[in-house]
Amino acid sequence: MEKKIQPSDGIIVLKDLSKSFGKNVVIDDISLTVEKGKTTVIIGPSGCGKTVLIKHIIVLLRPNSGEVYFHDQRIDNLPEKELNAIRTRMGFLFQGGALFDSLTVYENIVFPVRQHHHIKNQKKLDELVKTKLAMVGMDGFQGAYPAKLSGGQKKRVALARAIALSPEVILYDEPTTGLDPIRSDVINELIIKLQKELGITSIVVTHDMASAYKIADRIIMLHNGKMLIDGDAEQIRNHSDAVVQRFINGQAEKSDLKALRQSSADIKIEDIEQ
Amino acid sequence: MAEQQKNSMVESIGSAVLENIRHCGRFSRFQLASVLASCRTCFKPATYPLVLTQMLAIGVRSVPVVAVTGAFVGMVLAIQAYDQLAGLGIEEHLGVLINLSVVKELGPVLAAVMLAGRVGGALTAELGTMNVTEQILAVRSMGTDPIRYLVAPRFIACLLLTPFLIIYADFLGMLGGYLISVPYLGINSAAYWDFSASGVEMWDIAIGIIKGFAFGAAIAGVSCYKGFHCKEGAQGVGQACTEAFVGSFILILGIDFVLVVITKAVYATLWPLKILL
Repeated sequence: MEKKIQPSDGIIVLKDLSKSFGKNVVIDDISLTVEKGKTTVIIGPSGCGKTVLIKHIIVLLRPNSGEVYFHDQRIDNLPEKELNAIRTRMGFLFQGGALFDSLTVYENIVFPVRQHHHIKNQKKLDELVKTKLAMVGMDGFQGAYPAKLSGGQKKRVALARAIALSPEVILYDEPTTGLDPIRSDVINELIIKLQKELGITSIVVTHDMASAYKIADRIIMLHNGKMLIDGDAEQIRNHSDAVVQRFINGQAEKSDLKALRQSSADIKIEDIEQ
Repeated sequence: MAEQQKNSMVESIGSAVLENIRHCGRFSRFQLASVLASCRTCFKPATYPLVLTQMLAIGVRSVPVVAVTGAFVGMVLAIQAYDQLAGLGIEEHLGVLINLSVVKELGPVLAAVMLAGRVGGALTAELGTMNVTEQILAVRSMGTDPIRYLVAPRFIACLLLTPFLIIYADFLGMLGGYLISVPYLGINSAAYWDFSASGVEMWDIAIGIIKGFAFGAAIAGVSCYKGFHCKEGAQGVGQACTEAFVGSFILILGIDFVLVVITKAVYATLWPLKILL
């Protein structure tokens, strides 16, 4: 008999979480504890509910059933106003960065600070922005608008904004997707650096296995809204489940290949035209 | 089979009704939250710069289009009405007709429609794009209420500046009417203004301006709501803009009708007082 999860088991605890949109069940009864100071990576095929799961952690989405705990406090049922205080203790890196494109890089980073603190000293603010940007290797871009930045630069600035309030937890939604291998590695190193230097708890959603192996203390794989496996990199590599092996090795399923072969006996446009 | 068909019909009507009720609920809650957030913003000087930025975009930059709209309304009215009044030999009364129509009805309504297109479209497109690119979610994720940060400044700017823009439209409408009536159609200037002054009361001008507050709130309310709830993708944003314009246009006409009925009743009630004064 498995031990029941307690709210005090980790910094973040999800208990029997379920979420569906209409008739589409995206998360199906998931329970999970996240240890403080560790990097937990959530992997899984596209559309398996990874992003929806981490949006529940910061309560951008509310579950249909189940509970979310942060520091032993239940947060999924709190009103928005009380949640705001909790959200300042978490950072969320969106998949596309979600930088405010009407604001400069500087204003983007200052945004959360100004919203929650009354800092009159302009010099101190400049210094803060400089430090945060330097951490992600983007110092000097203060005056640029997000539209002028490349994909990787946007993600790094977005990360600087996510750490602006020095959060305890950072949630990364596909931080390396769409970046070249070198940029991806820079982001990986950043995640490791933040964990080592600031003791930040990280939860990373990705389907980039190279990144997952590099940064993870623990890897969780979701499949069809359920937790398929939970273990460290070594356990995942040696897992016997065919679905896991196909995913981590990037192999297509037999049924997909069959469909592909059938479609190679393609219908030509000329045939239809006649 | 027939039974099944009947069931599916009842089901689809039922789900459409439910969806509409849900929609109304969401809209009302959004408006209530916007009004509350706007009231709170008024007492927070720290957020005034945000409001001023929106006032520049929504108000100041709309002056030219609103002024042109007003001017053409006055000019067209003068040309259209002249022949009929001249036929009766009372062309000097043209001023009353033009100015009364402009300040009471055409100035406010057409200026508001122009704003629904210019400002409403821009608001919906901006907020819609922010919604699609998760920027609104990002505001929430950083512990800030997006309605307070994004909607309230736009709502306040629209609410406060639409009446001012209507004053501009009225002024240019009067000027346009005058330019066509007096220099072009050759009506006596003194008679034109005398009849206008006796026919147009402060009350008439006030009604137009009062309408402005309601129109401004309607434009901001509908446009921000549509932006916040737009569907994914470029098509979603486009559709939201169309719906926002059509929605605010119809709401403007509806509000106009209701306000005309109410102000008429108020005027009729207060009219005896005016004689006493």
